Amino acid sequence: MIKIENLTFKYRNSKKNALENIDLIIEDGDFVGIIGKGGAGKSTLTYAINGIIPHHYQGDYYGSVKIDGDDTFDKNPSELSLKIGSVLQDIDSQMVSSVVEDEILYGLENFAIPKDEVEQRLSSSLKELGISSLRYRTIESLSGGQKQKVAIAAILALRPKVLLLDEPTSELDPKSSVQIFQLLRELNKKHGITIIVVEQKIMLLSEFAEKLAVMSEGKIVLNGKVRDVMKHSSELESIGINCPRVVTLSNRLIDRGVDIGKVCINLDEAEVMARGLIHG
Amino acid sequence: MKGFLDYVPGNSFLHKLNPLTKLVLALMICVACFISENHILLVAIILLNLAIAKAAGILSRGLMLLKGLTKISLVIFLLQLLFIRGGDVLITLPLNLLITERGVAMAFVIVLRLIGATMPLALMLSITQMNDLSNVLVTKLKIPYKYAFTLTTAMRFIPIFANEMSGIIEAQASRGVELDTRNIFKKIKFVLPLCVPLLITSVKKIEGSAISAEIRGFHLRTRESCYKGYPIRKSDVGVMFFSAFLVFSAIIISGV
Ligand SMILES: Nc1ncnc2c1ncn2[C@@H]1O[C@H](COP(=O)(O)OP(=O)(O)OP(=O)(O)O)[C@@H](O)[C@H]1O
Ligand SMILES: [Mg+2]
Repeated sequence: MIKIENLTFKYRNSKKNALENIDLIIEDGDFVGIIGKGGAGKSTLTYAINGIIPHHYQGDYYGSVKIDGDDTFDKNPSELSLKIGSVLQDIDSQMVSSVVEDEILYGLENFAIPKDEVEQRLSSSLKELGISSLRYRTIESLSGGQKQKVAIAAILALRPKVLLLDEPTSELDPKSSVQIFQLLRELNKKHGITIIVVEQKIMLLSEFAEKLAVMSEGKIVLNGKVRDVMKHSSELESIGINCPRVVTLSNRLIDRGVDIGKVCINLDEAEVMARGLIHG
Repeated sequence: MKGFLDYVPGNSFLHKLNPLTKLVLALMICVACFISENHILLVAIILLNLAIAKAAGILSRGLMLLKGLTKISLVIFLLQLLFIRGGDVLITLPLNLLITERGVAMAFVIVLRLIGATMPLALMLSITQMNDLSNVLVTKLKIPYKYAFTLTTAMRFIPIFANEMSGIIEAQASRGVELDTRNIFKKIKFVLPLCVPLLITSVKKIEGSAISAEIRGFHLRTRESCYKGYPIRKSDVGVMFFSAFLVFSAIIISGV
């Protein structure tokens, strides 16, 4: 369980708080989406979870972040990485090797994975992302989307208990983005891996995530089950997040007093609602 | 000289050598260059460099390096020509400048040395993966991983900087900034302000790499962590002997 209590953080040589009074609990097995517009503090929040803050970036730090009861202050990011696998936002600078195979090997070596297990982990994580054919390519020769998949494969090979991804689909086409989220769902459902994903595409989150944390100016302004958060479509609009059309539509119907039961958060639900209205 | 250091994949005899052997070969070629004052030997070493490039399937990069280095050398050659004096005066120039016999001979030596000693290092980096290099530094030479990682990360970023720099220059050129001016001071005046953003992005990139290493278990790594083995084979021993032979001949021929 990840327990963030009253966390406030200001980067050194920065004037305003990047995080302000964050309270957030993420249970084991959750699938949480974090959304908010540019500069809201999403990446900073991920740094606070994987220990980059306070171990790499210093600044004014109040409150606490506990991973299964351990304060992130007491464990360095490498120790935390045994539990939490992170994919960073900047894909280029997170590569530490010049060839794909070595990039995946890097973490496996550091974790001292037994040698007879390494090959299996390497090939299966490449396969899960559908990039087995890229194994011997140089990183430099890859497209942005391919690099993004390599970055995810490198973390997946480490089999973390928690997967923390910062905008993992920013360089991907719509089809690959959906595939990544399908993979995340599978990891979550089949292997019980906790998924925390920062994502700008609200459609993906409303389809795949179970919970949503909405950030604005360093604060978490809305937090809860996706459906509950989606009820507040006008608040979301006011902080610069455009809800999916079906959400806006069903919220409007509810406001006008039409009895449709609950907010629809995806197309399937909208279809059921429309049929209900037509036949009922 | 865009992209003159990044890794070129391949399957040649040289690619397959132990990274340590490649490092030794490159360093010994450098040493041979610095020992020798013999023009013919220095030219032979440069030809050897090209032969190595050919054998590794990167002849075009070898030639590109040679061309780039020759351009730089031209300036150095002219300076040395004027500053080193000795032996017969060949030409007397205005402003009390002399071109002497020894000046010509030494200027050639210095320039050939520069070319002969820079090429093997660049070629070595082109056919060696940085991870492999840092792994042998740690396992064979017992250098702490922290230093090996810093060194190889810095080297890995050189080509990235070079690419970024040429990107910035192209962007400026397309906006009509004239960077092709012959006047070296003007050129510096144009390029200097461009270096600041480059420096900032570079520092950010290196920081990103360090963070990425940290969250993938950097601090957990031990000397035994390395997955690939780096055996020293017969071919490696052969190349090491060849390197020693090279230095030895340079000593004999130059009579040091
Ligand atoms: N290293 C740093 N030093 C100082 N200030 C920083 C640093 N990194 C981020 N900030 C500031 O902290 C605030 C939050 O940034 P953060 O990167 O967490 O936002 P974000 O929500 O991830 O944005 P984006 O969607 O653009 O990735 C911003 O105001 C930013 O300028
Ligand atoms: Mg961000």
